[in-house]
Amino acid sequence: MLGYILRRILSTIPVMAMVGLFVFSLLFVAPGDPAALIAGDQASPADIERIRESLGLNRPFLVQFGEWAWRTLHADLGTSIFTSLPVTQMIGQRVEPTLSLMALTLVFAIVVSVPMGVVAAWKVGTWVDRSIMTFAVFGFSVPVFVIGYMLAYVFALRLDWFPVQGYTPITDGLGPWISNLVLPALSLGCVYIALIARITRASMLEVLAQDYVRTAKAKGLGQRSVLFLHALKNAAVPIVTVIGIGIALLIGGAVVTESVFAIPGLGRLTVDAILRRDYPVIQGVVLLFSFIYVLVNLLIDILYTFLDPRIRY
Amino acid sequence: MALLEVENLQVHFRTPVGVNRAVDGVSFHVEEGETLAIVGESGCGKSVTSMSMLRLIPEPPGKIAGQVRFAGRDLLKLSDKEMRAIRGNDISMIFQEPMTSLNPVLTVGRQIGETLRLHQGLDAAAAEAKAVEMLTLVGIPAPERRVKEYPHQLSGGMRQRVMIAIALACNPKLLIADEPTTALDVTIQAQILDLMRDLKHRVGAAIVLITHDLGVVAEVAERVMVMYAGRKVEEAPVRELFSNPRHPYTQGLLGAVPKLGSSLSGESTRLAEIPGQVPSLTKPIQGCVFAGRCAIATDVCRTWAPALEMKAPRHVAACHYALKEAVAA
Repeated sequence: MLGYILRRILSTIPVMAMVGLFVFSLLFVAPGDPAALIAGDQASPADIERIRESLGLNRPFLVQFGEWAWRTLHADLGTSIFTSLPVTQMIGQRVEPTLSLMALTLVFAIVVSVPMGVVAAWKVGTWVDRSIMTFAVFGFSVPVFVIGYMLAYVFALRLDWFPVQGYTPITDGLGPWISNLVLPALSLGCVYIALIARITRASMLEVLAQDYVRTAKAKGLGQRSVLFLHALKNAAVPIVTVIGIGIALLIGGAVVTESVFAIPGLGRLTVDAILRRDYPVIQGVVLLFSFIYVLVNLLIDILYTFLDPRIRY
Repeated sequence: MALLEVENLQVHFRTPVGVNRAVDGVSFHVEEGETLAIVGESGCGKSVTSMSMLRLIPEPPGKIAGQVRFAGRDLLKLSDKEMRAIRGNDISMIFQEPMTSLNPVLTVGRQIGETLRLHQGLDAAAAEAKAVEMLTLVGIPAPERRVKEYPHQLSGGMRQRVMIAIALACNPKLLIADEPTTALDVTIQAQILDLMRDLKHRVGAAIVLITHDLGVVAEVAERVMVMYAGRKVEEAPVRELFSNPRHPYTQGLLGAVPKLGSSLSGESTRLAEIPGQVPSLTKPIQGCVFAGRCAIATDVCRTWAPALEMKAPRHVAACHYALKEAVAA
């Protein structure tokens, strides 16, 4: 078991190395010349060449990559071309709202979607099942920003239950923090809930037809233990897998959600950086998101062995 | 009063092609501590009968009617909650497939202890201690270690022993065993049968044994009920049935068994088969259900369904010609 976890952790190193290589290559494949960008509109070709040399941009690709990788490993992501601030500092200022939003959405989505899928499978073919699946199709098809604006209109503008936009740090109190995040988390969560609920239902349907579910019923267990203990634990592996893969959806959705609700998070930072071609910032953010994704999926792989004792690598 | 009295049990399933009368008016009883075998070929309704006694048939599409009186209470009239208090406690069940009937992600100890915690209110530690005890009782070596293992770490025979341990944990008055040995190797079958016989004497539970294996019936049952196409066609004490089968279907069944047929009834050693197929249960059957495959069937059989009649002491059969046959033989 311990050996497996250790091996699994080690296997993330080549993955992150590939991510690093890809992120760094962005600089070379993307249109636009960073040196020209820094030099500004009035610069002569000689000025640009000087800047290029001073930044080391004229050296071979691998040398530049090696140097960049070395700095990155020491938590130095370079400085922003526009603000001249260290990228780590810029990310550090923006990371809390985004992580808060993602974590809250994740928890909320799992708490809602898994029981939804379980109930749909239990009541398969009835109106309960059909309404849950209709919602799932709806949640999957309507874009995040449409849901976001609809929620903001109804619950913030008309009913005034929650703030329309903005973010309050968690250090200012749990109440204001949550109340600012409810609507963003709801809008971001819809796709995710739809996805997890569907997989939960499918996985549960398969499990509920198994002999051991009949055994559990024959023991006199109540419906809840049969569904949520005996069946759900067996259905868990695909569900957990899709939760992990769905993190990518959350990351993409967070960028849009932050724009809709004016949350000063990494999403906004990313959009701004892309619009300004602020490559060090883009690299830093992409690297961070990739790292989060790899980390979550690492945790999920380890979780498998706890969920299903038959899984041994 | 018998421990279990089933009266006019009907289990019908609604299907796209019509109502399937899987069990159609079956009555029988089981005395305390007695072993009743229900035999018949696949699809005769024996498993559905056993499942419907514990109300494990999904409704809909299934529909159970009649009476299932257990210790005087009609189980079909109980609330879901009252029914759950009986399942696994007063009546428990062993299934055919030991490989798939245990939950693969829960430890053996947990699965045995679960019924004890549920029905006897034991705490986790006491339940595990009792689980170890149960594993010892069903003859699993190193029970302290096994109790922490998962089903995939056990062989098929061991898993069936675990199923028996689960079933017997709460000292049930009635054990329903649905083809408990069918999926096992012959040598393991014998071990499991020995175990069941041994435990029956120790625990004193009555057993309803569902099987198509007449060899198993001869070994453990006291009384036998033969089912065909959802109906009871014959019932008799085991020796009487094997030496004096009255219903042509039972005679056919015994004739189709390689060894037992010849050794017990002394007939020819040629293996007989029953020609034809079980009639469709979605269409009403006129006359005797077995008429289509019966060698001695006449127009009478094809017109009037025979009632269950006492053909000898404690021996009933549903056949117009059964008595004549017996006299002639």
